[in-house]
Amino acid sequence: MEDQSLRPSSAPATSTSIMPLPPYTSKVKVLDKYHIIGFISSGTYGRVYKARSRHPGTTGEFAIKKFKPDKEGEVVNYTGISQSACREMALNSELAHENVIHLHEIILEDKCIYMVFEYAEHDLLQIVHHHSHPERRLIPEATVRSILWQLLNGVSYLHQNWVMHRDLKPANIMVTAAGEVKIGDLGLARVFWKPLAALFNGDKVVVTIWYRAPELLLGSRHYTAAIDLWAVGCIFAELLALRPIFKGEEAKMDSKKTVPFQRNQMQKIVEILGTPTKERWQSITQLPEYPQMATFKPYNCNLETWYHQVGATNKMGYELLSGLLEFDPVKRLTAQQALEHRYFTEGPKLSLNAFEGSFIEYPHRRVSSDDNDIRTSSLPGTKRSGLPDDSLQPRTKRMKAGD
Amino acid sequence: MAANFWTSTQRAHWQLTREKIADMRKALDEEDTNRGLGLSYPLPDHKQLQLYFHSCLQRLARRLQLRQQPLATAETYLKRFYLKVSIRDTNPYLMLSTCVYLACKMEECPQHIRGVVNEARALFQEFIPTDIAKLAECEFHLISELNSYLIVHHPYRTLMEVQTPLKLSSDEIMAALSFLNDSYITDLILLYPPHTIAFTAIFLAVFVRPAIHTQANLNASGSTAMTISGGGAGASGNGSNSIVPSPTTQSSAVSAASTVGPQSSARLSQMSDWFAESGVEMEGIIECTQEMISLYDTWETWTDKVCRESVARLIRGRQLS
Repeated sequence: MEDQSLRPSSAPATSTSIMPLPPYTSKVKVLDKYHIIGFISSGTYGRVYKARSRHPGTTGEFAIKKFKPDKEGEVVNYTGISQSACREMALNSELAHENVIHLHEIILEDKCIYMVFEYAEHDLLQIVHHHSHPERRLIPEATVRSILWQLLNGVSYLHQNWVMHRDLKPANIMVTAAGEVKIGDLGLARVFWKPLAALFNGDKVVVTIWYRAPELLLGSRHYTAAIDLWAVGCIFAELLALRPIFKGEEAKMDSKKTVPFQRNQMQKIVEILGTPTKERWQSITQLPEYPQMATFKPYNCNLETWYHQVGATNKMGYELLSGLLEFDPVKRLTAQQALEHRYFTEGPKLSLNAFEGSFIEYPHRRVSSDDNDIRTSSLPGTKRSGLPDDSLQPRTKRMKAGD
Repeated sequence: MAANFWTSTQRAHWQLTREKIADMRKALDEEDTNRGLGLSYPLPDHKQLQLYFHSCLQRLARRLQLRQQPLATAETYLKRFYLKVSIRDTNPYLMLSTCVYLACKMEECPQHIRGVVNEARALFQEFIPTDIAKLAECEFHLISELNSYLIVHHPYRTLMEVQTPLKLSSDEIMAALSFLNDSYITDLILLYPPHTIAFTAIFLAVFVRPAIHTQANLNASGSTAMTISGGGAGASGNGSNSIVPSPTTQSSAVSAASTVGPQSSARLSQMSDWFAESGVEMEGIIECTQEMISLYDTWETWTDKVCRESVARLIRGRQLS
């Protein structure tokens, strides 16, 4: 008879070898490395804090973006990292350019993601606000030119690397105290080199409504990087006018989650740029929402009148603006073409410091130091302590087909 | 950069040497031995395990109807992760499922976490915890070990770009795709730039495969299966068909490659010229080819039984599930 004890056992030999795995713990603790100065702002993603490094060799300030953990009652649980956090982590780790916000490090601790960015004192929303309150004072032309050139330089870099931002708006464009423009919030950005599926199949709605390109409003399935240039055109207009150029009202999603036609937004665009025709935009008739356009009253292009009304005088600036706000995405200026435009190459020398020669003192980002507990799991919703953030602006809906 | 390999995190941080990889694996093994884990949980050689994990990933990808690219990204994540963390400190089934879940997000074809867990459970049963929080926790561990470098450059892109200038036939493209899919069983993606791997697959497809084919005609069936299944992988686009080449034909195929006819030798010199003009290092292609041959050699004697049993013992023993 075979001795059973001689047979190899499939169970582990001794109990000492039973070593259950400990739960995931971060090797780096956010509070060990950073001193939290205070709370900056909050949004749907989570909260942003201002911080300084505790490491003596690391100078400067940081903005720590804490992604909101998902909560079930009081218990915080792992639920899978959101698509937008994944994109932002991956793209910011990969990209390096002077006009794209620099990611210092990522800490995954206690079921939360902390992305540590370089700190920028200002953003375009705040700068525009400063010039429109309490009374309206135009932004100096040298500042506008510098901001726009740097913004285009950053967009050009993104596009050369096949990254579409898809949410360019004043609140997402930072400016450092040294006047350098930094494109931020890559949570909606994605690589568009030979996508595995039509872009439309991914995120149903991209770009905050006031900055959304007409091809998106008309339901284009295969949009291109040109959507970012439309948004840049809108931002340029806003720097001149100190208010959004196309301030439409967003039609709400109906219960079936079908994307409605944004009639009011399209109307605002048409009122200034005129009704797009087949001659101006060859493929327009093929767009799904084109029949909706047919019910619009015809308008002529009033952009030049608008330009003078807001107090802008530079003819080349007008040329550039109309090149960016071109209906047909194929004819719209690319970032590279816009950078080479006469608006930048002619006239006074362009500075890479947006504030050079300007005597305007912009207020510092307001930071509330009574709210500096980054570890608190309190839900975002506390209002931003400083200037109005994008809670006053329509937000981009981040909806994914896969969710 | 997202579209430029030369400035990518892949090139800067995840392009390693054979020595470095060997050192990293050795260090993990030694640590396991010191902790007594190596003795309690013997595991097959890493080449055997790579074949096993590849087949597991492929089966999971097939259930989720994934395309080749997210699968390739998941394979790359798993390889990188296991250079930094000992397999014995993980539940490999949960880990590879997590790689698939994250890769799908990164390749913009997101899958619901519940869906991934359900499909993984259908394959790996009790070894996958029902609670989605376990996979989500594993995702933190994965991203943390990968240093958040999640964008992977694959050789598929090069293959697509050069198919016209190199006048590749659709058969050759299909075969090259199959070789690329197989390359993820090896360490190639950790060692070489993606275009070197792509050119290796093209080289194999154009010069080695016809030899296999000829051999197949002589030996009847056998390797024709390879041509057919290779074609299927490319055409269906979901890359779920694996080639399990008949080992004997594989080895004879490689030797047959050196005896190519005059027509293909003309093409060989043409292609070598083209490679030379593009600045591709022939040396890299030769090394990659050797790696692929060694893979098919290992495959010859491989069965999943030993891997499956030792992984099961590991998970049960360490109460990881």
